Amino acid sequence: MNKPAVGYELVVFATQWGLMLFGFGILTKFVAPLNLLSPTLYLGLYFDAAAKALIALVLSLTWLFIWDRQVRFYFRRRGK
Amino acid sequence: MASLGANTVAILIALGSFPVSLALTRFFMYWNAKRGIIGIDVHKLNRPKVPEMVGVAVPITLVFFAAIYAMVGGSSSIPLLAYALVVGLAAFVGAVDDRLKLRGIFKPLLTLLCGLPILILGLAFPGQVYTSTLHVPLFGGYHLPVIYPLTILVAVSVTSNTVNMLDPLNGSMAGGISIVAGGLLIGSLLVGAGSMPIFLYASLMFSLLGFLYYNRFPARAFAGNVGQLSIGASIGALAILGRTEIASIVAIFPNIQNSFFFLSRIRRFTEHRELTAKPTKLLPDGRLADSEDPRAPLTLVRTLLIGRPAAENEIVSTIWMIFLTSTSLAVITLLLTGVMA
Repeated sequence: MNKPAVGYELVVFATQWGLMLFGFGILTKFVAPLNLLSPTLYLGLYFDAAAKALIALVLSLTWLFIWDRQVRFYFRRRGK
Repeated sequence: MASLGANTVAILIALGSFPVSLALTRFFMYWNAKRGIIGIDVHKLNRPKVPEMVGVAVPITLVFFAAIYAMVGGSSSIPLLAYALVVGLAAFVGAVDDRLKLRGIFKPLLTLLCGLPILILGLAFPGQVYTSTLHVPLFGGYHLPVIYPLTILVAVSVTSNTVNMLDPLNGSMAGGISIVAGGLLIGSLLVGAGSMPIFLYASLMFSLLGFLYYNRFPARAFAGNVGQLSIGASIGALAILGRTEIASIVAIFPNIQNSFFFLSRIRRFTEHRELTAKPTKLLPDGRLADSEDPRAPLTLVRTLLIGRPAAENEIVSTIWMIFLTSTSLAVITLLLTGVMA
């Protein structure tokens, strides 16, 4: 068993956990209160929700990208 | 403290899931073996034949005990009905896949439909099944009246498929998810959640432990898609019904990493059996090693084996330890989220 790899996995999880809480914090404090479109407009509520969902999606993809880089950085160098 | 009695009753009823799951697992081992429903344990040198689809014992136990809990009046029957339907539908999709060997893309698509009971019953009985407010650790919460209902379908599909993808070794899924359920049970107790999610987490954990008795190394029973998908759907449904959304994501970090790296390499939904480049290989001494095939996905098991082969039971213990770590982070997340309903 590759014990350093196990240790590194745990470090990756802790990092991703911290980043996740930070990302949800951004969404809660900054993105959710925004009024990107007035709810009085036709379908305004839905477009507002869609725009915020897009921001959340970008944050999620960034989070996954960081996860990907961390794992590849370690394991690709060790493995090949 | 007022809910201590209700929680104790909930856990005591859920405790019955263990012997029932154990007995059902035993029953399906013989039933399925007799009908030729068997798989081959490819990670053993002698490639033993093992009864497949025995994981059906878990969703049957979960649905049965949800019904019992609804009958004894432990909680509102609407969320329990939603939960039972989600688990039942996911088990059905898994059973169809086990028997008909569906193409990889169908599983995520069909499991999208498994979340519908929560969505429909939630719309029919507002406030009884789910609330559209997401509780965020440290930062409070925010209301998502449009997005939240839609994410229910995605959540159930993602959890069921990601659990399905991390069951390559004996006991890895059953042990890992029982740790997740146990951790979220403890977290829910600590934050004073209602007795319904406490019951369902306890029921899931005890059912899985019953199945694990026969699924642990060396396995005498395989879960099959019927077990894996329904157990994953159960985690997804519980995240919504128990309002443990973010903590549940944290708890299944090992599953998420495994699925993400699988999909990022293969770039399509496919079955493990269809892979031409395998992530691991069996050595002549019975240990598992990294296949060193650059085309193979970087699965969680493979990352643990790079450069150093290991015995199957040793890898499974390590996977459980990794789940224990992610679940500990999930419990901290629940505590940071604060007291729920």
